[in-house]
Amino acid sequence: MATNYNETIEEIKRRLSDDLSKAGTSGDVELLEVKYLGRQGEINKLFKTLPIKEDPKLGKAINDLKNFCKQLLSEMLSGLLNKAPEGSFDVTIPGIQPPIGSRHLITHAIEEIEGIFTQLGFVRRRYPEVETDWYYAEGLNIPKDHPARDDQETFYIAEDIVLTAHTSNGQLREMEKVKVPPIKMINIGKTYRRQTDSSHNPMFHQFEGLLVDKNINITHLLGVTDYFVKSYFGSDRTIRLRPHHFQFTEPSFEIDISCGLCHGKGDINGSPCKICKSGWLELGGAGMVHPNVLKNGGLDPNIYSGFAFGWGVERVLMMKSGLNIPDLRLFYTDDLRFLKQF
Amino acid sequence: MNIKITDKALRHFLDTSVTSEEMTNYVSLCGPTFDRVTKLDHDYLYEIEIITNRIDMASAQGIARNSVAILNQRGLSATLQNDPYRDKINLYSNLPKTFTFEIENPDLVPRFTAVSLENIHIKDSPEDTKNLLTLCGERPINNAVDITNELTILYGMPSHIFDLDKLAAQRLTIRESKKGEGVTTLDDQKNILHGGDLVIEDGAERLVDLCGVMGGQIAKVDVHTKNILLIVPVYHPNRIRKTSLYLQKRTLAAQIYEKQPDMELCLPVLMKAIKLFEERAGAHVSSGVYDSSPNPFKLKEVALDINWANSLIGVSIPVSTVVSILESLGFNVINKNKDILICTVPSWRYYDINIKEDLVEEIARVYGYSKILPKLPCVNLPPERKSSLLITESKIKNFLSCQGFNEVYNSSLISMDLINKTSLSESNHLKLANTLSKDFEYLRTSLVPSILQNLKNNQGKSEEPFYLYELSNIYQKNGGKLPNETSKLVITSTVDFRNLKGYLESLFINFHLKPYTFKTTANAPIYFLDGNTAEIISDGKGLGFIGTIKPTVLHNIGITSNPTVIELDTESIAISIQKNLVYQPISDFPEVVEQMTISAKLGIGDIIEKIQSTSKLINKITYTDSFQNNHSFKIHFSSLTRNLTQSEVNDIKKTIQGLFS
Repeated sequence: MATNYNETIEEIKRRLSDDLSKAGTSGDVELLEVKYLGRQGEINKLFKTLPIKEDPKLGKAINDLKNFCKQLLSEMLSGLLNKAPEGSFDVTIPGIQPPIGSRHLITHAIEEIEGIFTQLGFVRRRYPEVETDWYYAEGLNIPKDHPARDDQETFYIAEDIVLTAHTSNGQLREMEKVKVPPIKMINIGKTYRRQTDSSHNPMFHQFEGLLVDKNINITHLLGVTDYFVKSYFGSDRTIRLRPHHFQFTEPSFEIDISCGLCHGKGDINGSPCKICKSGWLELGGAGMVHPNVLKNGGLDPNIYSGFAFGWGVERVLMMKSGLNIPDLRLFYTDDLRFLKQF
Repeated sequence: MNIKITDKALRHFLDTSVTSEEMTNYVSLCGPTFDRVTKLDHDYLYEIEIITNRIDMASAQGIARNSVAILNQRGLSATLQNDPYRDKINLYSNLPKTFTFEIENPDLVPRFTAVSLENIHIKDSPEDTKNLLTLCGERPINNAVDITNELTILYGMPSHIFDLDKLAAQRLTIRESKKGEGVTTLDDQKNILHGGDLVIEDGAERLVDLCGVMGGQIAKVDVHTKNILLIVPVYHPNRIRKTSLYLQKRTLAAQIYEKQPDMELCLPVLMKAIKLFEERAGAHVSSGVYDSSPNPFKLKEVALDINWANSLIGVSIPVSTVVSILESLGFNVINKNKDILICTVPSWRYYDINIKEDLVEEIARVYGYSKILPKLPCVNLPPERKSSLLITESKIKNFLSCQGFNEVYNSSLISMDLINKTSLSESNHLKLANTLSKDFEYLRTSLVPSILQNLKNNQGKSEEPFYLYELSNIYQKNGGKLPNETSKLVITSTVDFRNLKGYLESLFINFHLKPYTFKTTANAPIYFLDGNTAEIISDGKGLGFIGTIKPTVLHNIGITSNPTVIELDTESIAISIQKNLVYQPISDFPEVVEQMTISAKLGIGDIIEKIQSTSKLINKITYTDSFQNNHSFKIHFSSLTRNLTQSEVNDIKKTIQGLFS
C-alpha cells in the first residue's frame, strides 16, 4: 500500500508544478489554491479516500503534502504580486473632471459670519426686506419729520412701505417675537439703497446683531465685536470705538479695525498706506439700544439694556486682506468667469 | 458734515502747550474725528467730521471747548479762552431804531437779532483774515462780508449784512414765500420758490434774503456801501433744510441752520461783529439792538444716577471724574456728593441732551473708550433649533455647488423690459416709487427671468454647458400690506432635460425627501413650455416645476440653446424632508435581476409606478431604454427572509405583463 499512496502524493506534486508553470496571474494562483487546498480540493479528497486511521504515517505524509502545496502556492503568489505590471501610463495626464461648481462669495461670507456668531450663542434670524415705516424708521426713534429721512437713499414702494436700507428693522421684530429677554440674534438679509458706484450697489447685504438682557453694557459690545473681528479678520487685528450718532442707539459708535496691510501704522516704509485712513478701517456703526427703541419693542428700559450693530457683508468681504476686489458691483455680475473663481 | 479750521483759529480759544499731533489724536478718539491734518507754514489745517447732532462743535470755539475737556482727562493742561458766552452784551439802548422788522410767524424764527452800522469803509480784509477764509474754503470778498464769514468759522453762528440804503423804507418783513415767487441770490442765480421758504421782504415788496441759505442780490454790500444792517438770526431747521435741498444750495449757513444752532449765541456773535466792523471798517453802531425771542431759552435739567451710568458703561468711573467731565463740557452739576447728579444742560447742548443716556455718552467718550476693555457677555439663552428653512438653504447650496453648479446673486430689482420678455404681467409686480434707473424698478416675483438673462449673458463668454442656480427671496403683492417674501430656488442648465432632472432626483434622494412624483401639468408659470413641463409633488403638495422654456421667451431674451429650468419653493422642500430616518434592513439573500420590456402608450414614470405596485418583492426598477412604445427595464427582486425561486419571479413578471396587455 505504501508505494501506492506515495505515488499518488508524488503525482499531485507534479500536477501542481505543472499547473503553476501555466499560472500567469494572481487570480490563476487563487484558483489553484481552491483546486488543491479547498474544501473539495485534491488534498481533502486524499483525507477522505485513503485509510488514514490504519496507517499513522499516511496522515503525516498528507499533511506534509498540504504544507508543501501551501508553501509552493504562496511563493508563486507573492512572486506574481511583486512583479511590476507590464506597460505604465502617463501620470501627468490631466484628470477627467466633473463640472466644477461654486458657492457665491457672499454665501461664503454669510456662512462664516453666521458661524462666528453662532459660536457666541447668537441665533440667526431673517426679517422682512420690504418693511413698514414703523419697523424701519419711526419705531427706531426716527420721527416723520427727521432730517435722517430725506437722505434720499431709501427706495419707496408707497409712503409707508420701503425697501430696507438697513437690517435694523429686525430689532423691533425680534423684541416682539421673543417678548422676554435674553435676546441674542443675528439678522442677515438683503438691503437696498439708491446708490451706485464702486463701493455701492443698489442691493447689498447687512448683518444686524442685537443683544438685550439685564446688565448689558459697553464692555459687552466691545467683547462681541472684538471676538468677531479676531475670528473673521485675524487674531492680530484690534478694534477701537469713535463717537457717532444714530437715532436708534445711545451712546452710538463708529467701530474701526486696525488695518491688516500696514498693521495699524498708517504707512508702509514711509509712504501712506493705500487702503486705510491712518492705520484704521471703518467697520460700521454700533451702539447701546436707545430706551425709546426698547420701549417700542415692548421692553422696559429700566430693567433691560442692550447693544446693536449693523455691518455690511460685502464691506467685510472687501476688507478681508488679499481678496482684491476693486468694485463692489462685481459681486453682482453673472459672469461665470467670476463665479467659478470662488 | 465736514468743517475746516486752522490750528491758529482753534488756539484763539484753546490755551494749551499740547502739540497739534497729540491734540488731534486724543480728540479724534473721543470725537469729533480729525479726518485730515495738513501741515502749513507755521500752522495746520484741520478737516473735521462733525457728528450730525453736534452742531455746537461746527466751529473753532466749539472744538476748543470739547478739546479742553478731553485733554484735561488725559492729565494735560488746557483751558478755554475768549469764551463768547462770557462776553458783556451792550444793547445800545440809547440809540434809535433805523429800521423796522415784522416777523409773521414767530414759531419759524426762534431768535432774530439785528443792528445797523454807519460810515462803513469797504476795502480788502487784512491778510490774516483772507488767509483764514481761503484755507477754510470761503472766498474773501471785502472786509465787511468777510467779517460775517470769519465769525461763522470761529463761532459756528452765521450772520448776514444788507446795504441799508438799498432796502426800500428800511422796513423788513420775515415771512413764508409764496409758490412761484422769485429771488435772485448773491450767486447771481434767479430762484423760483416752491412756497413755504423763509424770506425777507423789504418796503417795496422785493425779496432781499433767502433766509438761512443765501442773501439776495438787491441789497448786496459793495464798495459804495456806507450803511449796513447786520442780522444774526436762528431759523426753523426743517424749513432751511427743505429750501437748501431743493435749490441745491448747500451753503455752510444752511448746513448749520438745519441743525439748530444755539440761539443764545446770537447776541455774543453780534457783539463780536460790531467790534470787528469798528476795527476793520471804521464803522459805528447807528441803532439800538433789535432782539426778538418769542420763546426765551429756559434751562433744562437731566438727572443722572451715577451707579446706573457706570453699569451701562461697564466701568466704575469715580463721581469726581464724572463731575469734572460734565463741568468741563459746560454742564452745571448740583448734588455733587450724592448718587443722583442733577445736571443743567448748557444752552449749546439744548437740543442734543435730553435723557440720561445722552450724559452717559458724554462721560464715556471723554473718559476714553480705549479705557473700556472688551468682555464677552454671559447670557442664559434658552436652547433653540435653527430654522429648518435656513438649514435647508445652506444644504441646497452645498449640494448643488459640489455637483458642479455655480451660484449667482441677482438683484431683486428687475426692469419692465425683462418682465415683458418673460411674458409676466407688470401689474403683479411691486414698483418702486423712486427708482434709480429703469434696470432696477420692479421687485421680482420669480427668479426665472434673471437666471435666463444670466444664460444669455454667458453665451459666447464661457464654454457650455452652463450649470447655474440662485436661491433668494421673491416678493409678491399682498393687497396694500407688506409683500409675501418667499425663499425660492431656481436651477438651470443647458444639458438636456433627463440629465438636469437626474441632478434634482439625486438632491431629493440625498436630502431624504418624502415620496415625490413628477406630473405633467398645464398650470406651470407662463414662461414654461406646456407639454414639456412637470409639476413636482410630494405629500400632495406642489414643490415646484421642471421643464423647458417657451421658444418665444428664449427668442425675446436671445438664448440660443434650449435650457431646462427647475423652479422650487425652498420652504416646501424643507417641510418635505423626512425628519427621522429609519434603518431599512439589508437582505442576506441574493437578488434576482430580470430584464423586461413593456409595450404601452404611457409615461415611463407611470409604467414604473405600476410595476412597483405589483409586488413587495420588487426592490428596485431601473429604466434602460425605449424603442417607440417598447420600454426596457431591469427589475430587481429580493426578499429579506428567503431565497426567491425562479417560478415565483416568473409569476410576478406575468402579472406585470398582464397590467399592460
